[in-house]
Amino acid sequence: MPSLSSMSQSQDIQFDGLYAHELTVSRSENVLLEDAELHLAPATITYLYGENGTGKTSLMRCLTGLLQPDDGKIYWNKKPINHPESGYFQDLIFLAHSLSMKNELTIAENLTFYAQLRCGGSYNNKELQADISQVLTDLGIGGLEGRMFAELSAGQQHKVALARLMLEPAKIWILDEPFVNLDQKTRGWLAAKTLEFKAQGGVVLFTSHHHIDELPVDQKVGVEHE
Amino acid sequence: MISTLLKRELKVARRNWIGLAIPLLFFIIVVSLFPFAVSPEAPMLQKLAPGVIWVAALLSMLLSLEQFYRSDFQDGSLEQLLLMSSPTSVAISKIFAHWLLTGLPLVILSPLLGLLMQINYGFEHINHTWVLMLSLMLGTPTLCLLGAVGMSLTLAANRNGLLVSILIIPLYVPVLIFGASTVTASLESLRYNGELAILGAFLMIAIVFAPFASGRALKISVG
Repeated sequence: MPSLSSMSQSQDIQFDGLYAHELTVSRSENVLLEDAELHLAPATITYLYGENGTGKTSLMRCLTGLLQPDDGKIYWNKKPINHPESGYFQDLIFLAHSLSMKNELTIAENLTFYAQLRCGGSYNNKELQADISQVLTDLGIGGLEGRMFAELSAGQQHKVALARLMLEPAKIWILDEPFVNLDQKTRGWLAAKTLEFKAQGGVVLFTSHHHIDELPVDQKVGVEHE
Repeated sequence: MISTLLKRELKVARRNWIGLAIPLLFFIIVVSLFPFAVSPEAPMLQKLAPGVIWVAALLSMLLSLEQFYRSDFQDGSLEQLLLMSSPTSVAISKIFAHWLLTGLPLVILSPLLGLLMQINYGFEHINHTWVLMLSLMLGTPTLCLLGAVGMSLTLAANRNGLLVSILIIPLYVPVLIFGASTVTASLESLRYNGELAILGAFLMIAIVFAPFASGRALKISVG
């Protein structure tokens, strides 16, 4: 009779994509999730909903490995995410509430830095700069590459953070409130790009307080208080 | 990967140079006030020089610690760095950049302050300035490395400047003792190789353990 712990050995995990097994998460003695199971299959979009303070962000941070869960394991393509062979951190783009951009750098410098960090030496700077111009134009902030990040409006800053999704190769996007602060046109753009990413086999997890009409989702996951 | 991180650090620092100039200015001001306050007599100043310059350097390093990981933590980029590269390499590049921007300028400025404190008074053939620079060259990286561990442990606490000072000063004291006594030994025409060797040993131990410890602490602070 196999015990429960041997069930969670990596060779028994049958799921591709991201799979969280018996996940227990707590913050300052508040248990947010207990024994939760979550499976984000390739080529699916998952909508994570719940009221403020229910632990959506904590769950996301757990799935990115930034927050250590109290119990449970998280697998990426059948390997624990911290396993060097899983390649999870190469495949992941996590956009958090904080935009993670330096005020002292220009837009192009900020985006170039992250692209360089992800690709290591294997990138072509000329192509990258052309890509950055293209993405910024698509987002309606073309020509601002040389501006300091601090000089932009809140909405424009948010768009710069979203531009990372187009510039870095990835297989899973975890997006915390990506649609907040965006105008109608950019919401449409982001929804279209998310569907494109899904069509290429990408995994998407996002949170939002409103239903996004432009984006049909495959799976809805709710986080609720007991 | 480390060179990418390092380039970014230096670029950010260049655009934000006033923040880095303040600890340096503090270093110069503290030392230059001593001749006014104590006595402008050369033998007296010379006797005080090693201690004064070293204490001022230590306080200046402590002052600059505040900007170590803070801004990256606040704007969320520290999280992204930890996701995309290993914590130890984040710590190494931060520490190295921080030393280049705060420790190295102290070493370069120290001959000027040695001059102010009459460090070579009465010696015609021996140049104590080099000993002073050498001791700072070996000592300031250790201060940086230890400070990084303290800063990364206390990142999540508000107003962590005071907390770091309390945590870190006891660890700074041995470096201060051997740093200042290297110069004192040289002024007394004694051999100072032993003191320098101990400063070097402190540095080696700190280089091996501090980036790793700081990286682990960063992970905990962010989580």
